[in-house]
Amino acid sequence: MLKIENLHVEVEGSPILKGIDLEIQAGEVHAIMGPNGSGKSTLAYVLAGREGYEVTKGRVTYKGQDLLEMSPEARAAEGVFLGFQYPVAIPGVSNVYFLKAALNALRKHRGEDPLDAIDFMKLSKEKAALVQLSDELTKRSVNEGFSGGEKKRNEIYQMAMLEPSLAVLDETDSGLDIDALKVIADGLNTLRSPERAMLVITHYQRLLDYIVPDVVHVLIDGQIVRTGDKDLAKRLEAEGYAEVRNAMQP
Amino acid sequence: MTQQPQTLLDSIPASFDTGPQWLRSVRKSAAEVLRERGLPDKKTEEWRFTSVRPLVATEFARADAEAPKLVSPAPKGVTVRSLRQVLEQEPARLEGRLALGESEHFAALNTALFTEGLWIHVAAGVVVEEPLQLIHEPPKTTEPGVSYPRVLVTVESGSEATLIETYPGENPGQLTNSVVEVELGRNAKLNHVRIHENPGLQVGRVEARQEADSSYRSVVLTLGGALLRFDVRALLQGQGAECRLDGAYLVDGNDHVDHHTVVEHQAPRCQSDQTYRGIASGRGTAVFDGVVFVHRGAQKTEAHQENRNLLLSDTATVHTKPHLEIDTDDVICSHGATVGSLDESQLFYLRTRGIPEELARAMLTYAFIEEVVDRVSHEPTRDRLREAVLARIPAGEAVRGAS
Repeated sequence: MLKIENLHVEVEGSPILKGIDLEIQAGEVHAIMGPNGSGKSTLAYVLAGREGYEVTKGRVTYKGQDLLEMSPEARAAEGVFLGFQYPVAIPGVSNVYFLKAALNALRKHRGEDPLDAIDFMKLSKEKAALVQLSDELTKRSVNEGFSGGEKKRNEIYQMAMLEPSLAVLDETDSGLDIDALKVIADGLNTLRSPERAMLVITHYQRLLDYIVPDVVHVLIDGQIVRTGDKDLAKRLEAEGYAEVRNAMQP
Repeated sequence: MTQQPQTLLDSIPASFDTGPQWLRSVRKSAAEVLRERGLPDKKTEEWRFTSVRPLVATEFARADAEAPKLVSPAPKGVTVRSLRQVLEQEPARLEGRLALGESEHFAALNTALFTEGLWIHVAAGVVVEEPLQLIHEPPKTTEPGVSYPRVLVTVESGSEATLIETYPGENPGQLTNSVVEVELGRNAKLNHVRIHENPGLQVGRVEARQEADSSYRSVVLTLGGALLRFDVRALLQGQGAECRLDGAYLVDGNDHVDHHTVVEHQAPRCQSDQTYRGIASGRGTAVFDGVVFVHRGAQKTEAHQENRNLLLSDTATVHTKPHLEIDTDDVICSHGATVGSLDESQLFYLRTRGIPEELARAMLTYAFIEEVVDRVSHEPTRDRLREAVLARIPAGEAVRGAS
């Protein structure tokens, strides 16, 4: 589904990603772990199409298409979803209102009829329940006055509404207490499916106790230095990134 | 009968021979002030960013009928009368109420020259639910024409009313020079909505004189125009009075829109709050100038003002100057102004959900002034305004379609 080849990315002239290779198949959950400043969020933003990230080398192919050529909304239409580490508040734009516009734009792209208000609200209630997001929050301005945990649950609610093929989840666990983490993990596990791939970016192993990944990559200083199964995450937790970094020194 | 076209200053008569003595004397002093000062130029501080030069030399034809039309029924306890008629039949009732003779230039001009208008009177203790709706139809003059609409609104103590004024226009050469005076008795409340859909020229002044515990809430929506200048002045004269002045304006093309507010805190424990939002695109110019005076003795004043502007093009201009002049202790005051473009991170967020860029921009643009539109409590008017605003923002159509 997603193939990243020798990806180099600069931000304001400084190299951040220095040759990433990564391939994800439908149905797989990959985790990317790495310390602060290793380039995790940059990778997420590049995949979603944020401006200000210059790809200097390499390519990204998604469902056979050149992903990097596509606008953020075209990527979304093709099924790419980014769960933000810091979801922005948008005063004056209500959550359900913009999601309805978003969902109907996607449905139009897929050649489906738009959902009417009643069907939309029914779907919204069902998906909000998945992450225990209250009706009141779904109707409020996007993320305005939301707590940290509510913002993250709102991200997963939106993902559930939009049903992406590839979900890139950028530190969805950051700032969450253990109860909120379980709610989010349960929501995400429900959304696992043979047609859907997930790229779960995290600093800590904790999230991966609940969302068990098929593959774990360790990203340090813009490069994937180790790839393994879920046990790699546990080793990382026990030994720390320093050990892994030292172990790779020649 | 339409009079011969004349420049604004030439149209001031040498003497005033009709009407009650007090009015003649008010008009006479207005005329004297104008002859002495002339019209404002770029050295006039309050007109620094708005040039009226195009108006000075123009010869305007004057129309006869200038009374705004009341398009809603006047409920029990509300009387709406022609100013001309009251001046003929019971002139004493208006003495001291039609003022502004020595006020700012254009209000003085209106005071010297108005011939017709309305007096809206809400009797004491009357609460009117349905809004009173006034339409200021532009008079049928040949271009360029001028009219001087005048409205006096008296809300007696303990009463409550909503007034919605609409200033439409078709003729870009038509100058409307309007004055609305508002008198609020003790504990009286007025919600005052003004909608300016005039593509041409207008100078308008609202002055609210407030007794103790009264409340004046004003929302102005200005949807572009060649040269529009609006002043609101609220005089908080009695203890515990409050005013809320809100506004939203859009400029595009070569529009020039200027809003000035003045709040005079003259008594203790009064509150004022101002929120003005503007969207500037094309080669449009928007001006906001708001001043709050807290006079000596006005302790426990609370005054806030905020002006935020969204700049959508490199060729649009925004001037903003909220300021405070405080002459007493024990007050809570704040003011602030911003001029900026759309937030890139908000835009990106919406796009990652599949919202096309154009629609995302339109959504964020509308959201910027929606808060002000939402302060119009009369739902049909609010819906109409929403439509009118969406019609004027880029890709606004799409926002309507998406909701």
